[in-house]
Amino acid sequence: MLEELASTFPILTCILFLPLVGAAVLWLFDDEDMVKTSALTIALLELALSVFVLLRFIPDSAAMQFSEHVPWIPALGISYHLAVDGISVLFVGLTAFLTVLIVIYSWDTVRHQMKVYMMALLALETTTMGVFLSIDLILFFVFWELMLIPSYFLIKLWGGGAERHYAALKFVLYTLLGSVFMLVGFALLNINFHHWATLRHLEQTYSFDLLELLSVPIPLSQQVLIFWLLFLGFAFKAPVFPFHTWLADALLEGPIGMAVVLAGLKLGTFGFIRFSIPLLPDASKSETVVAITMALGLAAILYGAIMALVQQDFRRLLAFSSISHLRFVVIGLFALNYQGLQGSLLTMINLGFSTAGLFFIAGFLYSRQQSTQLGSFGGMAKRTPLLASYFLFIGLAGIGLPGTNGFVGEFLILLGAFKANWLYGGIAVTGVIFSAAYFLWYYERSMLGPLGKAVKDSISDLHPREVFIATAMAVMILWIGLYPSPFLRMMNGSVQALVDRLERGTVASIDSTQPVRVD
Amino acid sequence: MTFSLTISPSDLLLLLPEILLTCWLCFILIIDFSFPRLPNEQLAYFSIAGLIATLGCLAWFDIAGITGTLFANMFALDRMALFFKMFIVGSTILVLLASIDYIHRFKFFRGEYYFLVMMSALGMMFMASANDLLSVFITLEFSTLGFYVLVAYLREDMASNEAGIKFFVLGIFAAALLAYGISLVYGETGKLVFSDMTAVQATPGLAIGFLLIFAALGFKIGAVPFHSWIPDTYHGSPTPVTAFLSIAPKGAAFAILLRMFFVALATFKPIWILLLVAASILSMTYGNIVAIAQKNMKRLLAYSGIAQIGNILIGLAAGTKMGSDAMLFYLLTYLFANLGAFAVVIAVSEAIGSEEIDDYSGLGRRSPFLAFSMLIFLLSLAGVPPLAGFIGKLYIFVSAVKEGLYLLITVGLINVVISMYYYLIVVKKMYVSEPHDRSPLRVSGSIKMVVYVCLAGTLAIGIYPQPVTDWVVSAILMFSNFPDPTAALPVPPAVTPFGG
Repeated sequence: MLEELASTFPILTCILFLPLVGAAVLWLFDDEDMVKTSALTIALLELALSVFVLLRFIPDSAAMQFSEHVPWIPALGISYHLAVDGISVLFVGLTAFLTVLIVIYSWDTVRHQMKVYMMALLALETTTMGVFLSIDLILFFVFWELMLIPSYFLIKLWGGGAERHYAALKFVLYTLLGSVFMLVGFALLNINFHHWATLRHLEQTYSFDLLELLSVPIPLSQQVLIFWLLFLGFAFKAPVFPFHTWLADALLEGPIGMAVVLAGLKLGTFGFIRFSIPLLPDASKSETVVAITMALGLAAILYGAIMALVQQDFRRLLAFSSISHLRFVVIGLFALNYQGLQGSLLTMINLGFSTAGLFFIAGFLYSRQQSTQLGSFGGMAKRTPLLASYFLFIGLAGIGLPGTNGFVGEFLILLGAFKANWLYGGIAVTGVIFSAAYFLWYYERSMLGPLGKAVKDSISDLHPREVFIATAMAVMILWIGLYPSPFLRMMNGSVQALVDRLERGTVASIDSTQPVRVD
Repeated sequence: MTFSLTISPSDLLLLLPEILLTCWLCFILIIDFSFPRLPNEQLAYFSIAGLIATLGCLAWFDIAGITGTLFANMFALDRMALFFKMFIVGSTILVLLASIDYIHRFKFFRGEYYFLVMMSALGMMFMASANDLLSVFITLEFSTLGFYVLVAYLREDMASNEAGIKFFVLGIFAAALLAYGISLVYGETGKLVFSDMTAVQATPGLAIGFLLIFAALGFKIGAVPFHSWIPDTYHGSPTPVTAFLSIAPKGAAFAILLRMFFVALATFKPIWILLLVAASILSMTYGNIVAIAQKNMKRLLAYSGIAQIGNILIGLAAGTKMGSDAMLFYLLTYLFANLGAFAVVIAVSEAIGSEEIDDYSGLGRRSPFLAFSMLIFLLSLAGVPPLAGFIGKLYIFVSAVKEGLYLLITVGLINVVISMYYYLIVVKKMYVSEPHDRSPLRVSGSIKMVVYVCLAGTLAIGIYPQPVTDWVVSAILMFSNFPDPTAALPVPPAVTPFGG
């Protein structure tokens, strides 16, 4: 994990700032069509760059690739350090992919201030990319916090619900509350490095760089403290039960585009696998930590599933199902074995297609019936066969039907969970059954049966733009479902390195007197 | 104590910036009397020119490394003093620029306004160099004298008069405390110069004396529980004076606090840290919680200012070189963000004649420039990355984590969340609420310039803070080598903290 491959061309910087520059360029245009076309061009260009990185990425390697490293605030050991490895590279592609689809989706569903909407969306893309690309903890934190600003405006100005002001504020304050604790955790890591480096009379005494922090031993008690501080930060964002209440509000009140980002890009759990587990391996495998996270995870799987079962509103159902699914990810992470970690990573990517896809479906339903309440649907399959089929297909991927991507991820997680402890696996399996129950029941009531009274006569099936979005999702679902090996190969090296790191702990690095130089 | 005063030309050189400013403000007064018809703008630009010359002189001192002491150690010119002097003169320039339009509200004595502002600045420049208790008293009162008049400058406005009375009565009270404290300390130790006090024995009289001095300085920076004058005074004063009052005296008082704690009281560090932790926690919590309920923009900024002072006190409470570096850095970020926010308040109040938060509704549509600037300033005050305020908070918090002040950090971080809440209320008003009146706002050139400078400062320090961190680190390094009590400052084992 400490090895780095620098690139000659700063492609990650381009990926990072292209949307932001694009957003600034949009400011110059007044014509709405012009704005939309340029936003789409920028999003596509970004996707092209991301695909290029994915293609040039060396699979089965634990190295940090396309690395860029420039000192930023040397007095505090903060640097501008970007890189991708097996853990983050797929998220970069996923972010670019989803942003393109959101721009296409928003083409005619955003009713006012199109220019500002697109600017906020592109700014959000930059900050999200920053979260995935940053290797420096403070740089990561910068983007993590900056995400709040475009998100706040997106929920507040383009949200559909009456409670959107409340939801936007709640979202910002909850995330901020978690992240201030995370910042203390980062500071403790930095100070730990400082003590270590001072004893060895190193020239550099402060560092927030992930790779340098990895080379320093951390006492176990310190690790546990830092783990819980970081846990708060990531748990609020993920969100992990019982810190989840903002998510339902934000997903329900915010615009579909925002919901897709929140539900599709699992930043909180990414934080666990990027920072918590590698930096604090001894704490991560200590008994209390595993027991508490597993207990929270299993509770949330059941809680989310049961809550989803009784929801009348499709978006609310999705919110709870996404809480339930997310916990699969956490179960996989804290199984702390190869299959579990790999399954979690793949499931995080999968949710970007299945849950995000279902949010697009919710958007399609909303733009037809101006509601996602169950009462406004019924027997829709007769009038909108295309919508109903995509709905079913993406939903089945969410359940984890063999042949779809959901199956591969959940299978790996369950394998890892059973390997760690049969009890975890046993309870987690019931979550799968629940998810089939709530989805199929809702589907049956909304799409099948006699035509609902509230269904408008003028209702139309998917139009080409919507078909494009749904097909793109379906293709990715099938691809990962039937031929996952290219995706798994990209992760393999880093996941293996992570497992090794978990076995060795931080103590192994005590012997080395010099931190690994990474210039 | 014999006091032989021999001043050589080279000594006078050390006083050059102050002498320059003194001559200049006499010159402004003479011009104002000689040419009563001279337009105000002209006088303002004259004053600013003088201040810029002073700033240039200070910058030259800083680059050339001209330092020294005068009058038997009463007056110390080191790089820390130079930092604070530049801080004070820089904020004075911006305040005068922001006053040019506002000044039409004064019915009388427009010319004297510039004189008084510059006189206060002169007093504060001396404060930055005050190195013994007598000069602390003299310089502090000298700088406050100008403010007593400035606060009550809107003679027809009852609020301004009330502010003036309140500030005056409490100010005099603080001065009395200071004088009493100094007399106690002198009585106990027979010493006045900070650097002579390093070896004093702890006695009850000394403790009470220093507590009284701390109270007087706490009044100056507005830390809880010495803050009671702040809300009404900030609210009632002419807005440019409020802006001035919220920044420059804080910097000058922090210069004295740094010298007092790190030089005179270095041996009692474990005790005064507790004092500062308490003051910091109270200021942050009180300021932020009361700010939530405010309806008036100036009062909101007043309470948020109290909370920001609490944040700066964290750096002082860390009691290390890194903490002091962080304080200086934070003060600079606070200068740009707070002064920028006040400049927007001045611009809005010039255009719509109101400072109520409710009247900021729809500012995003009426004046995108002002609303965007306000957004940036408020987010910087709240500490959102990558703005200057974030780096400042980070610096402060890291220095405190290093000393293991976890309680302080926890309270500080929870306060960051609370402050975000009320800053977002203003943001919501500007961008989401419907305006009462849709007409666009006109912003004058001079205010625009202030806003641009503050925006540039906030963004530049946030994105590329390295030159500023280098500057503050070197400012405090010089201080530790000067004149003798170097042992007071625990210099980190690594010779320079910016390796790599």
